[in-house]
Amino acid sequence: MSRIQAVHTRSGSVSKALAADRLGIPAVLFFILAGVAPLTVAAGVIPTAYETTGLTGIPAAFAVVAVILAIFASGYIAMTRHVISSGAFYTLISRGLGRTAGVAAALVALLAYSCLQVGLYGALGPAAAAEAAEHLGLHATWWVWALAAWALITTLGLLRVDITGRVLGVLLTAEITVIVCETVAGLAHPAGGHLSFVTLSPAALFSAGFGTFGVLAVVAVLGFVGFEQAPVLAEETRRPKRTIPAATYVALGVITIVYAGASWAMAVHAGASHVVAAAAAQGPGLLFGLGGGTLSQAAQLLFVTSLFAAALAFHNVTWRYVYALGRENVLPAVLGRTGGNNIPKAASLTQSATGLAVIVIYAIGGWSPMSYLFFWLGTTGGLGIMILLALTAVAVVAFFGRDPRGESAWARLIAPVLAGVVLVGIIVLAVRNYATLLGVPPGDPATWALPASYAVVAAIGLGWGAVLKVRRPQVYATIGLGAQAPR
Amino acid sequence: MTGLAGTGRLADDLYLMAHDEVTGKALLSPRAVGLGLAGGLLAELLLAGTLRITASGPAVTSAAPPVDGLARAVLGVVVAEREQYPVRDWLAFLARTAADDVANRLAGAGYLAWARRGWRGQGWVPADPDCAFAPIARIRAALSSVGPAPGQGTALAGLAVACGLGPRLVQYLPPQHHRRLGQAMAQLDPGLRAVIGQTRAAIDNALLCHRI
Repeated sequence: MSRIQAVHTRSGSVSKALAADRLGIPAVLFFILAGVAPLTVAAGVIPTAYETTGLTGIPAAFAVVAVILAIFASGYIAMTRHVISSGAFYTLISRGLGRTAGVAAALVALLAYSCLQVGLYGALGPAAAAEAAEHLGLHATWWVWALAAWALITTLGLLRVDITGRVLGVLLTAEITVIVCETVAGLAHPAGGHLSFVTLSPAALFSAGFGTFGVLAVVAVLGFVGFEQAPVLAEETRRPKRTIPAATYVALGVITIVYAGASWAMAVHAGASHVVAAAAAQGPGLLFGLGGGTLSQAAQLLFVTSLFAAALAFHNVTWRYVYALGRENVLPAVLGRTGGNNIPKAASLTQSATGLAVIVIYAIGGWSPMSYLFFWLGTTGGLGIMILLALTAVAVVAFFGRDPRGESAWARLIAPVLAGVVLVGIIVLAVRNYATLLGVPPGDPATWALPASYAVVAAIGLGWGAVLKVRRPQVYATIGLGAQAPR
Repeated sequence: MTGLAGTGRLADDLYLMAHDEVTGKALLSPRAVGLGLAGGLLAELLLAGTLRITASGPAVTSAAPPVDGLARAVLGVVVAEREQYPVRDWLAFLARTAADDVANRLAGAGYLAWARRGWRGQGWVPADPDCAFAPIARIRAALSSVGPAPGQGTALAGLAVACGLGPRLVQYLPPQHHRRLGQAMAQLDPGLRAVIGQTRAAIDNALLCHRI
């Protein structure tokens, strides 16, 4: 007897079987948090941000940005209920603001995720080099380790390996445990014996003028990148209406507590007035130094695995973007093809090639990987995500403006307008104060070149969208349809 | 028993194409194999005229039920369900068991044997590599025939491309056959076209959703 016959002979068995095959809240939550990579942010982003920007309001920024993102999420999730969106942001932007804008958004997203992925090699190289020197007695410069990690990620990408399920669950749990332990240890030993709340106060957000908030918000958004991934799984969940918002809000809550707590503990332990200097001297050690001995050792090792898992996760997110765009013929069709075992080789290799080129350029230039690769490209990726969030908020308003589809005024209008206005404000402030974000004197070419790169790709996208509209209307018609696009 | 002519059933041919003809190793990811074979099982019922695709999903016709046990079992589930499900839900449902069921059916017909597969333990291995390779030759013949291409051959080729076997076909089919496949697909029954399109969308969706 066939298996299908053995199990299913009564009405209702199909829905039961389908439900059993789908994901619940914990699976979606893990999926989100895995992309967020907590230790990468806690040990990598936060100390580097203290050092580079010289600002101390980072803990407060995490809390405030979490609220902004929660408001944004209500409109965002409402729209994903009506638009099947495996391509997330650019799909929503094409449906809300038109396909030409969608192409521009797609290229902005591609650049942003690429920056985030490639930037991770800048932290992975030095972290692996330090661990290898200390424990294995192997002494090699950062880029040797970055290239080794690159080779491994390229191979795993071609085998289409996602670190999933148990391995990721264990890593993630260990990472969060370690951060919480370090945080508690740090708070238990405050500088001067006094627990200071100054870095958590809203006043810290504007310590060096109004523009400070824009800079801090970009750093915080960088920490939250990945929270937007839940709707990608909507079709795979048992009860999308409940599962997707629940997982998103729980993830936002967990991330906020962990990051705000860890960054606050670092400031408390070193002293708010000394934390910037301590970050410059210790780097990721600013977190590891909160606890002692074994905890610190475990944290350093987990930092390397966290960075690696994040680099692989972002590699997989980026090639999926490239693949989705290739499928829709927005990018060359060859990028939207799969080879044996359904592996999209061309899309995966394109992202690998970008990574290789950047590592080689930094190695030849002799630039500091932690500041100029990890933090500069990371924050620039964060700015790109912010631009996409703002565009998506506008797209949500436009989409529901044509037809409310039974959504509440809060979700379809008030929340996205609120989020959109605040996000645009933050972007303007951040771009005007990019020198502070990068830790360079005002007028440095990087302060305009990095943000302007988004304007350039957006302009290319708008142009290419217009060309497709006129020259290849059948391709234009399928932009943003994702897996539903015919080919 | 076994022969180069095959069992005449679409999902059987697709199974053989999706696995190495000598080692029996899958050439696609497990999810893609499952979804592709689910499409194959639906296509078999469409080709036999026992199922048609309506706007709300597959519906049973008054045609005589198929003789084959697996096809009858699939039809039985469709009949038993009072609720209508769209094609993609049926694909997801059938995909869970399709690979096992089709492998067992092929084993029953003598095309597969349960045997040792190197160091990776036991698995299904083609009984005769030539018979296992024959579906590709059948697609070749269908696409080079004079007049309209036969529906089953076209549907098989369309499903094979949909689940990611395009590169394998490219290897063995002359370039003019790819154009021919496009034309033949356009003339295919709309129901079969819908099943093939939905199979491709389901697999691409799984890939984009990190589920492959």
